[in-house]
Amino acid sequence: MRRALGPIDAATPFNAAPSASAAFSTSAALSANPPKKKGVVAKPAARTGRTLRLSKNTRTATARPPAPGERRALRKRVVLSNTNALEVRGLADLSTQNASRLREMGFEGQVLGLSNDSVDALRALEAFKATQGWSLFRRPASLIRRETVELAECMDGVAQQKHVERRMLFGERGGGKSVLQLQAMAMAYLRGWIVVHFPEAKAMTIAHEAYRPINSKDGSTAYIQPQYTARLLGNIAKANHGVLTHMRLSKPPELPVPVQSNISLLRFVELGAGDAELAWPVWRALLSELTTPSQEGTEGLQRPPLFLSMDGVDHAMRHSAYLDTAARPIHAHDLTLIRDFAAHLSGTSPLPNGGMVLAASSASTRPSTPTLDHVLARNEAAAYSPTYTTLLSNLHAHISALATAKDVDLSALHTLPSTPSTQIPATLLTQLKHLRTHLTSLARQNRSPADLLAALAAHAPKLPEWNPYLPLDSRVADCMASVTVQKVAGLSKAEARGMLEYYAQSGVLRQTVTEGLVGERWTISGGGVVGELEKAAVKARF
Amino acid sequence: MPPSINSFAGVRALALRSRPTAAFRPAAGGLSRHYADERNGGGRLPQAQEGQSGPNMHQQEHVSEEDAKMKKVMGQEGPDIEGQGTPVQDILKQDAEARKNAPEVMKASVKSSQSAQNARPAAPAGMGGRRDFSTWTRRRMPDLTPQSFDSSSAPLDPAMIPSDDQRATYTGYTAEAQPPTPADMSIQEENKGHRFPLPALPLPPNSNHKYRYDPVVQQVTNLLMQDGKKAAAQRNMNVILSTLRTAPAPTYSPQRPLLPGAPPASHLPLHPVLYLTLAIDSIAPLLRIRSQRGAAGGGVALQIPLPLGLRQRRRTAFMWILDAASKRKSRGSGNDMFATRVAEELIAVVEGRSGVWEKRSAVHRLGTTARSNLTYSTRGRR
Repeated sequence: MRRALGPIDAATPFNAAPSASAAFSTSAALSANPPKKKGVVAKPAARTGRTLRLSKNTRTATARPPAPGERRALRKRVVLSNTNALEVRGLADLSTQNASRLREMGFEGQVLGLSNDSVDALRALEAFKATQGWSLFRRPASLIRRETVELAECMDGVAQQKHVERRMLFGERGGGKSVLQLQAMAMAYLRGWIVVHFPEAKAMTIAHEAYRPINSKDGSTAYIQPQYTARLLGNIAKANHGVLTHMRLSKPPELPVPVQSNISLLRFVELGAGDAELAWPVWRALLSELTTPSQEGTEGLQRPPLFLSMDGVDHAMRHSAYLDTAARPIHAHDLTLIRDFAAHLSGTSPLPNGGMVLAASSASTRPSTPTLDHVLARNEAAAYSPTYTTLLSNLHAHISALATAKDVDLSALHTLPSTPSTQIPATLLTQLKHLRTHLTSLARQNRSPADLLAALAAHAPKLPEWNPYLPLDSRVADCMASVTVQKVAGLSKAEARGMLEYYAQSGVLRQTVTEGLVGERWTISGGGVVGELEKAAVKARF
Repeated sequence: MPPSINSFAGVRALALRSRPTAAFRPAAGGLSRHYADERNGGGRLPQAQEGQSGPNMHQQEHVSEEDAKMKKVMGQEGPDIEGQGTPVQDILKQDAEARKNAPEVMKASVKSSQSAQNARPAAPAGMGGRRDFSTWTRRRMPDLTPQSFDSSSAPLDPAMIPSDDQRATYTGYTAEAQPPTPADMSIQEENKGHRFPLPALPLPPNSNHKYRYDPVVQQVTNLLMQDGKKAAAQRNMNVILSTLRTAPAPTYSPQRPLLPGAPPASHLPLHPVLYLTLAIDSIAPLLRIRSQRGAAGGGVALQIPLPLGLRQRRRTAFMWILDAASKRKSRGSGNDMFATRVAEELIAVVEGRSGVWEKRSAVHRLGTTARSNLTYSTRGRR
């Protein structure tokens, strides 16, 4: 819009008559009448498009169009039941009684259902996803795999010793990371823990939520997401309804509104869920309440262990899509919710009542996170390197006792798997294979045992190193430094058999489950990758 | 597996699978419908007219009958036809031409003076009565007879099993001199050299990876494909079948009879391929109308009904379904909406609500009207 350059009162209209006629005069007016405005002639609207306008070409709305948000709701709808599928007879539930005795009761490799109240809690936590195959079966059930049993045993240890298990799941697409996390959530819920789950880190970082800067105590600027926080609090209240009812505030919270001092934590969380303006202070107060040491004798001040989890963590380990006032991207760790989760994942914020922090990466729609990839590879290799060192020292003792190199026994190296597995990470497997080739060639040449020992010394385990010419995201590297990483790989054949038998009993797999079928589908699914197994058994061939 | 799955065994054996060919049946009504490929009345054998000879009635006589007739003409006594047939050895004795190509064992029996029933060559001296040729032949089918004929485990009466002496008398083999074991047989018995067992023959029809899907699924997937994007078409196929799987069981309409032999509606969702096949085959038209220009005279096209093959029928039916689905309105959003609409249309077809039924009956009605034009090509232009 153009603006007048001069001051407004100095501006004179160009068409102003020099002097208007007197208030009353009998002489005819000198000036011509102002030009008459032309009447608006109704012109036919310009034709749009190049199509002939016929009655059959015009669209007529026959039905009511979907309301705003209805289409999206249909797309994101999570269906947990298929009334056509057969009821699996004798399907046991994952329950309070068996959640800590999975191995003793022989449930490993079998499918266990989820009870109604755990389904409600998990649904409230948004743990079920529309892309998972829940809609094919009569009721939600999941395979108890080796990793599930290990997680259950880990939870038992946490409950007894009040320590914190910090772990990150990674692995290929469809490998069952999210479902393993869901099982962990279900088991934590059954144990009476408080479960807090961030269903999708991507939703928090792609700038689809309102955000606002706040000043932290250390002077840095952080960003809160009031509406998202309110929704998260609502989920927490719904999922942990039973536990939070019996707990009350231990100290008066810092809130802009007065709150009853002995209010139950459930009411308090619901207060934050109802008002986005209160959501952030309520979240802070809730987190500090849950991380205060439990007072066992006092009514309402007992604090159970805390289960914190986040899915799709890759999006939280990089710059977010939000911009600051100088239009620079905001690091995801500057978003307060992610910052709180990262503090618990890295261990800088303690959990005095014990608990588990379980992050899971996502392999579909995965952003590029070089630092996270490196740290995962390094931590995985570091976890295996003691085994590697033991292998080397055993070989060292064996070779030292030898007279000639021809007698060397390399059977420990010849039993290596051909592909990296859950046990042996890729980098160390390559090194071991090089060592095997080196030692074999030396033995064939009948070199002295001292040469073999020198070769052993040259093949000490080397952890992956960061390329120093690339910028390292130090916040991510620090956060992940001491986190246990766990690769979720394919199922074993016994587990795959349990899965296929469940499919057959549900009526969705119309074949007899034989050893041959299991082997075939296990191979087709890339070595028992669960998502691919489902595709191969239920979706591809009917 | 619970028994309720086993009850579907009958469903799987339904006649809803691909047939190799199709034939035209001009009387296309809604009352009695058959598959288009029931050529010559669905496999019934041709029958002779009353008082006339059929195609398989005057055949060449059996060699014994012929011989008996010849002997009768010559005034001699021929073979006994009523009692039993002529042994091959007797024929060989008389027929030098046939003897040339006869097996060694028969030649030997003809040469020797032994009776024909117990034909065994004369034992060469010092060989313990072994033949100088093998009578063993390889079995094509897996051996189903019991391998060891142990008298203790055999269900037969032990008195019926020959003793060792009897065996030596009949076969010429004593306990010391046993016949050589065929090499192939022993490998097959012990399964040596096969890491995995040999597959059962014949191989199932979907064992080839290029034909691993049901023929209907394969054809429909290709019809769903746009711009050569087969993976997208396969994903859409998956959505269609999953929708059929999870949707409530359809309710059949008595006005729109499906193919005869359709299973109960409650069985369909658990067998989505059958569901799809039933929907497509039920509305598949039997014919199409070809418009021959200028044939009717006066610039009017002549409508000539033409029979369709099985794949053509299915293609026409599914293209109608695709047309109807593209006119439906989506209620949701996302990649899977078109596939969902196709699945809804398929359900509508089975429930008799779809407008595709009108298309089918219109084509059939026109075919009935134009059936007099069937002979157009044979009678030539007027």
